[in-house]
Amino acid sequence: MTTSFLTGMSWGDPDADVVRVGVGEFAIAEHPAVLMTPALGSCVGVAVWDAYTRRGGLAHIMLPTPSESSIDGKRERFATIGIPQMIAVLTEEKPTRRLVAKLMGGAAMFKTDSGLASVGDRNLHEVRRQLGLLNVPILAEDTGGSHARTVELHLDTGVVVVRSYMYGIKEL
Amino acid sequence: MRPENLSEIQIDALRELGSVGAGHAATALSQLLDHMVDITVPEVRLVPVSDVPMVFGGPETLVGAVYCRMLGDIAGSMLFIAPQKALLALVDMLRSREIGATKTLNAEEEALVTHCASILISAYLAAIARMADINLLPSVSAFAFDMMGAILEVASSESGMKVDTAIVVLTSFSDEHAAVDAALFYLPDPDSLEVLLGKLGIV
Repeated sequence: MTTSFLTGMSWGDPDADVVRVGVGEFAIAEHPAVLMTPALGSCVGVAVWDAYTRRGGLAHIMLPTPSESSIDGKRERFATIGIPQMIAVLTEEKPTRRLVAKLMGGAAMFKTDSGLASVGDRNLHEVRRQLGLLNVPILAEDTGGSHARTVELHLDTGVVVVRSYMYGIKEL
Repeated sequence: MRPENLSEIQIDALRELGSVGAGHAATALSQLLDHMVDITVPEVRLVPVSDVPMVFGGPETLVGAVYCRMLGDIAGSMLFIAPQKALLALVDMLRSREIGATKTLNAEEEALVTHCASILISAYLAAIARMADINLLPSVSAFAFDMMGAILEVASSESGMKVDTAIVVLTSFSDEHAAVDAALFYLPDPDSLEVLLGKLGIV
């Protein structure tokens, strides 16, 4: 991995393991690790964190529902499947009220094309609905706009670090 | 159709399409600039869409991109991508400035780059259309200047993740002053690739 101002770790424990979450995947990790997903465009990054166990999950959601795509592939890339699945794995199927969520991404990358712009908005809408159904409150958002974001979830504090070329480094 | 399912001769045919297309694009650029523009022999690769961000050194590389959909007998997406430095050099070329004079893009220069790239894409598509005897048109193009991964993500989610293979044509356009490294990504929808190969007579 190249170390630039965007990928270089600047917060928390420098020895922390960075768990990379790929496009359309989700990952769960515990305190010493940091969850990271690069280059969110119209995709939405959903960070869910449990303050007591200091466990958390990060999902990289590509599309709202499976009806949007005709071929097989990672089912977790859809909001309607990925989010419930991540919450189920995170809580080990035991109900808890400790989970909180933060949303990042959902931008409209390309200017002047209205059809393209709505993918991010539709993703955000479906992600909010899914989190609502699962009773997970959304504490903070850095969504919309027209810029790409790289996201890190620090599991000791639940802080989300958002990096972009447009606005530099931002904490949520 | 996945790249691993393609036979040697089919891959060669797609390579040939890429080279011919890039040649046409270089001709279009020389006509636009009104002086000679050379291209290096294009390197044509078939890569899985998930590996595409690695072409320019990772998903966070800053690139300029022009995107359009293909309309007509086959469906798919076209992306013209140039790394930051090359994109600025392209503006210098189009503006007859000294190379390195452009530091950022204003709205007008964005439009200039968008139009130039869409002309290159059209030339590329025209070459494919003529070879395969099909109708092909580009849609209105859109511009973005940001992380490579994010741009590609939009292009692939717009086609509903139907695309799994990208035909990447890597080339360098150069005149006496500057060289512009650029890549054309041709992302055909899966059924379209079969139609295209069928039209060329190699199924």
